[in-house]
Amino acid sequence: MTPPDTSSVLPFDDRYSPLARVTSASLALWRFFRQKKLGGVGLVIVLVFTALAVFPGALGRYDSTLVFDRDNPNFKADPTVAELAEDPDIGSPRVVAQFQAPSGDHWFGTDRFGRDIYARVIHGAELALIIGFGASLIAVAAGLSIGVISAYYLGWIDLMLQRVMDAIYAFPFLILILLLVQISEPSTRNVVFALGFGGIPFAARLIRSAVLAVRGSEYVQAARIIGASDLRIMLRHVLPNIGAVLTITFSIGIGAYILAEATVSFLGAGPRNEISWGRMVSSGRGALDIHPWESVFAGGAITLLVMAFNLLGDALRDVLDPRLRGV
Amino acid sequence: MQQYILRRAILNIFVLWIVTTLVFFAVQVLPGNFAAQQFAGANLGGATPEAIERAEVVLGLDKPVLEQYGTFLWDLVQFDLGESFRSKRSVWSELGRAVPYSIELGILIVLVGFTIAIPVGIISAIKQDQLPDYLLRGGAILALAAPVFWTASIAVILVLQWDLFKIDVDGQPHLWEDPRLALQWYLIPMFAGGIASTATTMRLLRSQMLEVLREDYVVTARAKGLRERTIIMRHVLRNAWLPVLTVMGLTVATIIGSQIVLEQMFNVPGVGRLLFQAITLRDTPLLEGLVLVVAFVVVFTNLFVDLLYGLLDPRVRLA
Repeated sequence: MTPPDTSSVLPFDDRYSPLARVTSASLALWRFFRQKKLGGVGLVIVLVFTALAVFPGALGRYDSTLVFDRDNPNFKADPTVAELAEDPDIGSPRVVAQFQAPSGDHWFGTDRFGRDIYARVIHGAELALIIGFGASLIAVAAGLSIGVISAYYLGWIDLMLQRVMDAIYAFPFLILILLLVQISEPSTRNVVFALGFGGIPFAARLIRSAVLAVRGSEYVQAARIIGASDLRIMLRHVLPNIGAVLTITFSIGIGAYILAEATVSFLGAGPRNEISWGRMVSSGRGALDIHPWESVFAGGAITLLVMAFNLLGDALRDVLDPRLRGV
Repeated sequence: MQQYILRRAILNIFVLWIVTTLVFFAVQVLPGNFAAQQFAGANLGGATPEAIERAEVVLGLDKPVLEQYGTFLWDLVQFDLGESFRSKRSVWSELGRAVPYSIELGILIVLVGFTIAIPVGIISAIKQDQLPDYLLRGGAILALAAPVFWTASIAVILVLQWDLFKIDVDGQPHLWEDPRLALQWYLIPMFAGGIASTATTMRLLRSQMLEVLREDYVVTARAKGLRERTIIMRHVLRNAWLPVLTVMGLTVATIIGSQIVLEQMFNVPGVGRLLFQAITLRDTPLLEGLVLVVAFVVVFTNLFVDLLYGLLDPRVRLA
C-alpha cells in the first residue's frame, strides 16, 4: 500500500524554511542597497561607527587618556630664576606634547592635554551611539503607548494627550532637553532619558496616525465583532500592522538625538565622565587660532554620523512607507 | 473665520498655560533652588544652611509648592512676571533688553536661510537628477547634519586664518545703532544659523516644484510657447511655495534652538543666552518669562502661518 499523496494537499512551502528566510532577507538587503544607494552609504557608515564603538581599542591606535610628551627644544639643564619666570618648562627635558598638528604619529593631532585626538574621536563613538539608540528606543516605546491609547480610545483621552503633546512641541527641543538634563546629575543615563522624553511627541504623533489607519480596517472591526478584548486587539492586530511605522519612527529620530546631545555637551551641560564629541568641539574652541584640529575633527565626526543616520532613516522610510515623506 | 481665530487663540493660551505649568514643576524637581545655587558658584564659606534659609525666605521659596504656584499664576494673569532672582530687576525689563537682540539675529537668520533655500530649491527642481541637483541636495544633507556650533566654529577658524575681520566687537551694538559693526558681529552666527535652517525648506520646495511641474497647466503653458522663466515664476513657483510656508512654524523652533547656541558662542545678550543662564541658576521667574516668550512665538507663528495659508490659497477653508 502506498502512502497517500499529500503533496497537493499540504505543499511544502519553502518560504518558511530557515534557509529561505536568510536568503530572502539578504535579497531584501541587496535590493535595498541597489535601490537606495545613499541609504546604503548611510548603513555602511553606521556599521563602521558601531564597530568603532564596540572595539575602540582595535582601531583607536592609542588609549584615549594617554598623555604624550616630547623633547623640549628649549631645555636648559640649569636655568636661572629669570629664565624660569619666562618659560616655566625650561628646566624639564620632556614636555607635554600639546597642540600637535596632524602627523603620522597623531593622525588628527593632539589636544591641549597632549592626548591623541584621533583616539578620542574613535572613543567618542560609543556615547553618540548609546545616546542615539537609547533615546530613540525610549521615545518610540513611550510614543507607542501614548499613540495607541490616544488613537484607540479617541474622545477626551485623545484630546487631553494631544494638547499635552502640543505643549511639549511648542517648546523648542533644545530648551526642553537643557531643562530636563538639569533635573538630575548630567549622566549618560539621564541625558538618554531626557532626549527620549523630548522625542515622545514626535513619535506619538506618527504612531497615532498609523494606529488610526489600522483602527478603521475591516479586520479590527471583525475582531471586535467576535468579542476580542481591547488588549488583544491592540497586541494581535494593531501592533503587528504598524511595524513599518515603528521602524521608521525609530530610525529617523536617531540623528536628531545625537545632534541634540552634542549641542547640550557643547554648552557644557552634557554627560561629564564620557568622551563627547560636542564637548571636544567646545574644548577645541580655546585655541582655534593656533590649533583648530580638535574642533574640526570632533565636529566632523558628529556631522558624518548624523548624516549617515539621516540617510538611512530616509531610505528606510521610502522603502517601507513612502506616504510618510516629509515628516 | 473670526470664530476660528478665536478658538485657535484660546487653544494656544491653553497650551501656553500647560507649558508654564510644566516648567514650574520641572524647576521644583531640580535639585537645589536659586538660593542654594547662588552660593554654589562663588562659595567662600557663606553657604551655611541658615544663609540659604534666609535667602529662601526672602525669595518666597520657603512656602509650600502649591502656594508658590498659585501666586505665580495669579501674577501671571495680571501680566506680572515678577522679578529675576539674580538681577533683582523685573522680568519684563530683562525681556525688553534681550528680545530685540534675538529678534534682530532671528530675522537675519531667516533672511539668510530663505535667500539660500529658495534659489537652491528652484535650481535643484529644474535640474532634477542632473549634476547641480545632486550637488545641492548633497549640500542640504550636510547642512541638516552639521551641528550649528561646528559650522560657526569652522567659519571662525577661516576668519582667523586669513585675518578677515575682528569677530569680537566692542559694546553690543544694535543694527540701528551701528549697522556696520553690528553686522560684523552677527555675520558668522547669521550664516551658521541660516545654513542650518535651509535644508528643510529647500527639500520641501524642490519636491513641491517637481509635483507642480507635472501639472497640466504647466504643460499648457509650455505648449503656448511661454518663456521657461515665466513658466517657473508664474505657474510653478506660485503654486509650489505655499506648502513651504507651513514649515515656517517648525523652522522658527529650529532657529530658536540654534540661537541659544549662537548667542552663547558670540556673546549676544539675547533670549537664548539668558535662557541658558536662567536654567543653570534656577532663576525661576526669569526662566518662566523667557519660556513664555519662546512658546508664544512658536504657537502664534503657527497660527499666523495657518491664517496666511487660508488667505493665500482660496481652496483652503479654515473652520
